[in-house]
Amino acid sequence: MAASIDDAPQRPLRLTLLAAVVLLFVLALLSRLWFLQILAGSRFDELSQSQAVRLVTTEAPRGQILAANGEPLVGNRAAPTVVVDRQVLLDGNGDPRSEGAERVLEDLAQLLGISVEDIFDRLASVRYSPYSPVPVMEDVPSEVRFYIQEHREFFPGIDVIDLPVRTYPQEQLAAHLLGYTNEISPDQLQDPDFVGYRQGEKVGRGGLEQSYEFDLQGIEGTNRLAVSARGTVLEVLSTIPPTPGDNLVTNIDLDLQAAVEETLESGILSSRSIVRSDGRNLESVAGSAVVIRPSDGAVLAMASWPTFDPSAFADGLTPDEFAAIFDTAVADEVPAINRAIQGAYPPGSVYKTVSGAAAMEAGLIGPGSTVPCPSSWDLGSITFRNWNARSEGAMDLATALKRSCDTFFYELAYQQYVREEGALDDGDQDVTELFAETAYGFGFGRELGIDLPAEQDGVIPSRDWKEDYWERTRANNCALADQAAETNRQNPTSSTAYALQLYTELCQDGYRFRGGDAVNASIGQGDVLTTPLQVAASYAAIANGGTLFQPRVGDRIVAPDGTLVREIEPTALGQLPVSEEGLAEIRQGLEDVVMGDGGTGRSAFSTFPLDEIPVAGKTGTAELGSQIPYSWFAAYAPADDPQFAVVVSVERGGGGSQTSAPIAARILQAAFGLDVDPFAAGDEILD
Amino acid sequence: MDFPALRSDPAARHARAQVQSRWQSATAPAKHVDPILIAAGIMLALIGLLAIYSAKYAPLTNQGLPTDTYVTRQGMALVIGLVAMTVAAAWDYRSLRTWSSLLYVFSVIMLVAVLLVGSEIKGAQSWISLGGFQFQPSELAKIGFIIGAAAWLYDRDVEGLGAVLGVLAILAPPLALIVLQPDPGTGSILLFTAFVIMLVVGVRARYLIALTIVGVIGLVGVVQLELLEEHQVQRLTSFANPEGEACAQGACYNTDQSLIAIGSGQFAGKGLFQGTQTNLSYVPENHTDFIFTVIGEEFGFIGAITVLGLFAVVLWRCLHIAAVARDRFGMVVAAGVAGLLAFQLFVNVGMTVGIMPVIGIPLPFVSYGGTSLIATFAMLGLVLNVHMRRFRSN
Repeated sequence: MAASIDDAPQRPLRLTLLAAVVLLFVLALLSRLWFLQILAGSRFDELSQSQAVRLVTTEAPRGQILAANGEPLVGNRAAPTVVVDRQVLLDGNGDPRSEGAERVLEDLAQLLGISVEDIFDRLASVRYSPYSPVPVMEDVPSEVRFYIQEHREFFPGIDVIDLPVRTYPQEQLAAHLLGYTNEISPDQLQDPDFVGYRQGEKVGRGGLEQSYEFDLQGIEGTNRLAVSARGTVLEVLSTIPPTPGDNLVTNIDLDLQAAVEETLESGILSSRSIVRSDGRNLESVAGSAVVIRPSDGAVLAMASWPTFDPSAFADGLTPDEFAAIFDTAVADEVPAINRAIQGAYPPGSVYKTVSGAAAMEAGLIGPGSTVPCPSSWDLGSITFRNWNARSEGAMDLATALKRSCDTFFYELAYQQYVREEGALDDGDQDVTELFAETAYGFGFGRELGIDLPAEQDGVIPSRDWKEDYWERTRANNCALADQAAETNRQNPTSSTAYALQLYTELCQDGYRFRGGDAVNASIGQGDVLTTPLQVAASYAAIANGGTLFQPRVGDRIVAPDGTLVREIEPTALGQLPVSEEGLAEIRQGLEDVVMGDGGTGRSAFSTFPLDEIPVAGKTGTAELGSQIPYSWFAAYAPADDPQFAVVVSVERGGGGSQTSAPIAARILQAAFGLDVDPFAAGDEILD
Repeated sequence: MDFPALRSDPAARHARAQVQSRWQSATAPAKHVDPILIAAGIMLALIGLLAIYSAKYAPLTNQGLPTDTYVTRQGMALVIGLVAMTVAAAWDYRSLRTWSSLLYVFSVIMLVAVLLVGSEIKGAQSWISLGGFQFQPSELAKIGFIIGAAAWLYDRDVEGLGAVLGVLAILAPPLALIVLQPDPGTGSILLFTAFVIMLVVGVRARYLIALTIVGVIGLVGVVQLELLEEHQVQRLTSFANPEGEACAQGACYNTDQSLIAIGSGQFAGKGLFQGTQTNLSYVPENHTDFIFTVIGEEFGFIGAITVLGLFAVVLWRCLHIAAVARDRFGMVVAAGVAGLLAFQLFVNVGMTVGIMPVIGIPLPFVSYGGTSLIATFAMLGLVLNVHMRRFRSN
């Protein structure tokens, strides 16, 4: 059977017929091409006789934001975008040219699933020249693209082209640093800085996109085209290609940034399993971490948790996305805030470096001189306690830092307070508030001017500040005092009496900078508020021998081809206001915190190779009302030749040694290429 | 003559075995791939990559986007296509016959699936999204139809009305589903391929003539009965009357741009990346259906006839293989592929040079589009398969 079928007569004639058809096809095409390309060249020349000139602008691609190794943090990707040529469909008034044109726009609206009004809104944009096609929908599905391009007769004047859209190849990495782009605001259009910008143009908002707007923004290109009566382009008369924006190379170390973000998140989450002595779990709602290169203030990594996906901004936030980033159910957990520069918290004991330096400069202590460290310290009727319920003996500044002794600093701050009050009473108008001045010198109480927008300045309490604050809050406090007086008269209890006393004092007497203010401020409590960035900058300055650098994320601007446009030079803001001896004693104290017996930061570094890479640091546990304390750790390493200054801060994260120090230790492990330990819940609260 | 002595002679038996094994190894399938066919196909695909790169170079550069966005995807499809070709060639096509109904049914099921799960855009559903890739089941349907028809005709009487009705019955489901998408381009390809299969298999001439008459009447009837909307008719007929009313209203936009692009390429072309029509994207779809305009504008007449010549080589090899095929199944497959490729070539290039209406048909091997490229190479593999196994002894 099979043999007979295999032997079935072939049909050579029929195959020959097919071959003839195929040959005919090829010859027909060949002769047509011969006609078009060889014989009819002159006809196409004739076509170009009747021509008009039109100008078409081409948007310039925005520069990329790169990590230190050149990997893009923000790039551009091709997004298929539906564009409408107004020349074809609209008349001079912006209305449809004809019924046909109206139908085309209705069909388009239906295809895109939007209303015709939406399309007219986009077409009304003055951002584009009349000859430039106007985008009406970005990132359309490929089905829409194919449909439009396969049915051109339905859609005259409509096309789908690739336009650049911001893309985030590292996904969520460094989300808080990058920012986003959207259309220029009316205010900015009035701003002389933005001269040359046109309405509808995209500008950077937030983060580096905003800070380096004028570098990243390119210059649009222009084509002069000769067109025939039919609108056919015959010739390009001249072309000014768009000038792409320059790229920003940051100091961000991609691997370190990733490690910092990962470590911060897992450290925060694992700390929540820690139970305090009062039975409450640590809340650890949010936190941040900063790594600075001490030698020049370069920000190598900066993280804030919780974080978000920056690509959500690239194509406009949905209401859900907006709520998730800006408006969470719990206000403390809003991801949009870059806590490293926008979070102003009481610093607690990480601030004791400032108080130590001030006491040295005031001459209250010299190198090696000692002050007692009792378990409590009285000021009038108020008792200020040390974190340690057992009294410790007299100690020098280095030991006071190592043991984080609060009472040591209370005593010194109060002595200085009394000295200054005495001078004021003597009529001296020019009293230097040394503790506050020292804090400014360390970079606190002011914006450092990092190349990121919305940096907070924090608060350093002083006499002027207190008076100013009193002025601002006085009306409210006096109203509260009246209210408390009323309540107290009707129904007096101990708490109403206390409220009456408190508000009456704030109303009448609140301008006074009291001894308690000075004492509280000396351990980074009371009214002191600092950003993690300020703490990091001050520790970087301690680490490098005393030069306070302006922290900066950007390193240099390069052209798209990689050639250098300009360096972003390090800026020294000043020298720390402390003598060499004083600085040496502070550094000794910070080294002892991590490496000395009884140092509060020691346990977090139990697996760290301190003999090879010595580490200096300071824990901080800052009280804020009755909340679980804010946890801090500031460090630099190697202590003898610092390459990294690290600050970790966790909101309501408990003790500095509990939550922040273990995170900082692991960040340093990552920074030095060591294996990063997994997290285990911290043990005891020191400081 | 008989040499009984030799049969028993071990030396003679050995010699005979040697001759047999030499013959067998000489006819081993792997030795009979057709390098000319493979080379021509790959060269066309490489020219396609270059043309796609050029078509997208200026628009992507202007936007500061990576210029290899499209080429990389097409290059990946080419690699997959070559694998598909190897697989299609390696597996003895005669065993494929047993599987043909399965493949055919699968291709029809995919066409049903695209109508159900393909995302609906005004009723046009040609694509199924698979993790970032768009798969076009109508390309698979081309293969499914050719193999299905070839297998069915394999051992049947092919001259009578039964063969005609059989082929039409096999054609009907995929054709109907493709028209439903609607994808008239692929529908017309299937129609033409069906006709070619009936032609080469030997259906009586009177049936072929009757089918042709029915087809022409049907086409005229569709136009006359106004089953198509005005603009669809315009699109189909305007090419024939470039000075007419329809063209003035813009129905000839694509053809105008395309003619200017190709005509202005003249003899030697404007050079890679130098085509003004290409660079300004004034020829729409110039990386897919209108890819030939890039070749015509930038590589001129020389480039255009090179592409035509390579197609001629591919078609010549396919027809030759049809002629030497050892059985009807192989002959129909090879001739069907030849007819299909010739039709796509003629309609696609004909469209760009203004002698055929604008119908969305890609240029095989060359146009951007992964499914089409992979399917084309898979068909090439089937033809190679027929060539490799044309001897009786294997």
